[in-house]
Amino acid sequence: MKITIPHLGNVYIAVKILFDSLGLDYVIPPLNNREALLWGSKYSPEEICLPFKLMIGNYLAGIHEGADTVLLVGSCGPCRFGEYCELQMKILQQLGHKIDFIVLDPVKSIGLCELLHRMHRVGAYSKKTRMRKLQSLFMAYKAMTLLDDIEKEAHWRAGFEKKPGECKRLLNQCRNAVYSCNDPEKALALLQEYLETIQKIPVSPERNPIKISIIGEIYTVIEPFTNLYIEDVLMDMGISTSRHLTPSWWVKDMLLKTMRLNSRELLKASDEYLPLYIGGHARECIGEAVLAAEEGMDGAIQIFPMGCMPEIVSKAILPSISRQKNLPILTLVVDEMTGEAGYMTRIEAFTDLLERRRGHVYIGS
Amino acid sequence: MRVGIPKGLLYCKYHPFFRTFFQNLGAEVIESEETNQEIMNLGVKVCVDEACLPVKVYHGHVATLKDQCDLLVIPRIMGIYTQEYICPKFCGLPEMVAHSIPGLPEITKVPLYMHNQKEMHKWCLATGLKITPSKEKIRNAFQHAIRAQCNLETGILEPGKKMTVMLAGHPYLINDTFLNMGIVKKLRAKDIGLVTEEFASSKACGLQLKKLIKKPFWTFHRRLYGAAAAFYEQQKVNGIIYLSSFACGLDSVIIDLIRCHVGEFPMLVLKLDEHTGEAGIDTRLEAFVDMLERREQNENYNTTFGECLYRSQNPL
Repeated sequence: MKITIPHLGNVYIAVKILFDSLGLDYVIPPLNNREALLWGSKYSPEEICLPFKLMIGNYLAGIHEGADTVLLVGSCGPCRFGEYCELQMKILQQLGHKIDFIVLDPVKSIGLCELLHRMHRVGAYSKKTRMRKLQSLFMAYKAMTLLDDIEKEAHWRAGFEKKPGECKRLLNQCRNAVYSCNDPEKALALLQEYLETIQKIPVSPERNPIKISIIGEIYTVIEPFTNLYIEDVLMDMGISTSRHLTPSWWVKDMLLKTMRLNSRELLKASDEYLPLYIGGHARECIGEAVLAAEEGMDGAIQIFPMGCMPEIVSKAILPSISRQKNLPILTLVVDEMTGEAGYMTRIEAFTDLLERRRGHVYIGS
Repeated sequence: MRVGIPKGLLYCKYHPFFRTFFQNLGAEVIESEETNQEIMNLGVKVCVDEACLPVKVYHGHVATLKDQCDLLVIPRIMGIYTQEYICPKFCGLPEMVAHSIPGLPEITKVPLYMHNQKEMHKWCLATGLKITPSKEKIRNAFQHAIRAQCNLETGILEPGKKMTVMLAGHPYLINDTFLNMGIVKKLRAKDIGLVTEEFASSKACGLQLKKLIKKPFWTFHRRLYGAAAAFYEQQKVNGIIYLSSFACGLDSVIIDLIRCHVGEFPMLVLKLDEHTGEAGIDTRLEAFVDMLERREQNENYNTTFGECLYRSQNPL
């Protein structure tokens, strides 16, 4: 068995640590690129959302390198993500690939037994002891948390750094160093080291950079290729960004959801505007926008793929939040046709607007 | 008290229920007009751009009603069957409307689960208390409403002389003659028989759904896919016409799953949005019907000059 996974931000690094530690045979497809998008859009339904298309591209690249099993997480509605596995299996079948899917659905819909059974289908191939397998899971989770922390620090400190570009350089260096390390224990130690280094980057606290909150659909905010590396672009502009949705947040959310203890703060903040769960992460998006206003962010950018049903609902609500909380919000809709120039122009115009709102430019001058 | 009911989305399926319920509570029920150009324009103007056509039109209905009533019924239908959903936009419909259209009267925001009568009664109680304080009266009205709803028969079944096609799609597109530009009339004029998903037996549907790897969690998915696959397997229809609105999230999955199942079987997908021109629809319908006719006459007599490029078996 040779396992492959679709990409989502830095998840591949944590998954690599997991598979290395389990001693499994795996293929990490090349990072999302034009080719993945090209093949993905060619074989996917026309109107499906962007993540689906990129995932198909990832699978094809994985299959090209000999993968025969796909490991995927799932959901059971009401967002389209739950139907991904069914349709993707059929598409790959029609293309003549014999490929096995292992879908980790939430406990609530399939039961703990079935979930453990599906996890065992991966674990059975590992010759390690049960203790070691559990340990590997924890290590992968820890790596994900560390990676998310490093990213968060880098994105926030980018606005304050003394030497421009330092945060971005360290972040990229960290990703490369950890990815090329094949020993899981060493990789974890490296991550810890990088977190400490990044926390010690010299900053000038007196600076007051523009602060933007990135909100929206989880895949497009996390996967940098889909949002045209918006966080890197903002880092280059010396803008601090914060983002609540991360892979480790998702894992925690999924686990706590069974006990209804998940992200209390976000849900509480969204109560006024969207009191019910409507699928996807629409409620979280609304909650983040409200929190961004309360935390004194200068603005928020909502990103979602074209046709995303839950985010369309939140897009209808965001203007009210913008008015009532006095928070500028820019919405960016991405799909395979997104052109870079139009996209960047809007981001630049938005950051200009945020700067001027601070009173750097006087009316009439 | 005047209660407004917009004639959009699932109104076509559940109008007796809402109308009877509010009439029996002693409220004056005001319904919006049938969808027309004006309503659509209004809807497109106020609604968020990315929404699908039926949702935009629903906004239009609400906008025409808002000044004529004291309470607007915007049902937040969370699900019709247990463990199933309709669409995320239905779950957030009151919010979408409330934040898009200024100057609304009071609207209903309580979630409506249609799984069983007990859940439905909860909604009725919460909404009815805005009109009358008497719980007894609400219970009575609820009973009447359920009875009226049970008497409603929806769906189209018209046997044709030559051939029958399945008219698939969401009920709010099939039943809205303005949005679908009178497709039923058009097909009737061509002597084509019609059947909708309501007339597929649930047993036959269930059989088809078992073949899927994952149990569908959308009601529309279960019904439409099940019915289309069942009709196809039973050879009850000569083709499928699928009415779909642009950027419909559910259809992007359902249509392709049906296509995967039926393979080379004739299937026409008509995408509707606020720009759709009638001439284009006519042309495509005509071409589709022509194709079906020729397929009947000349089946197995097609020349297969050269190899089919992509598909090895059936050149049709």
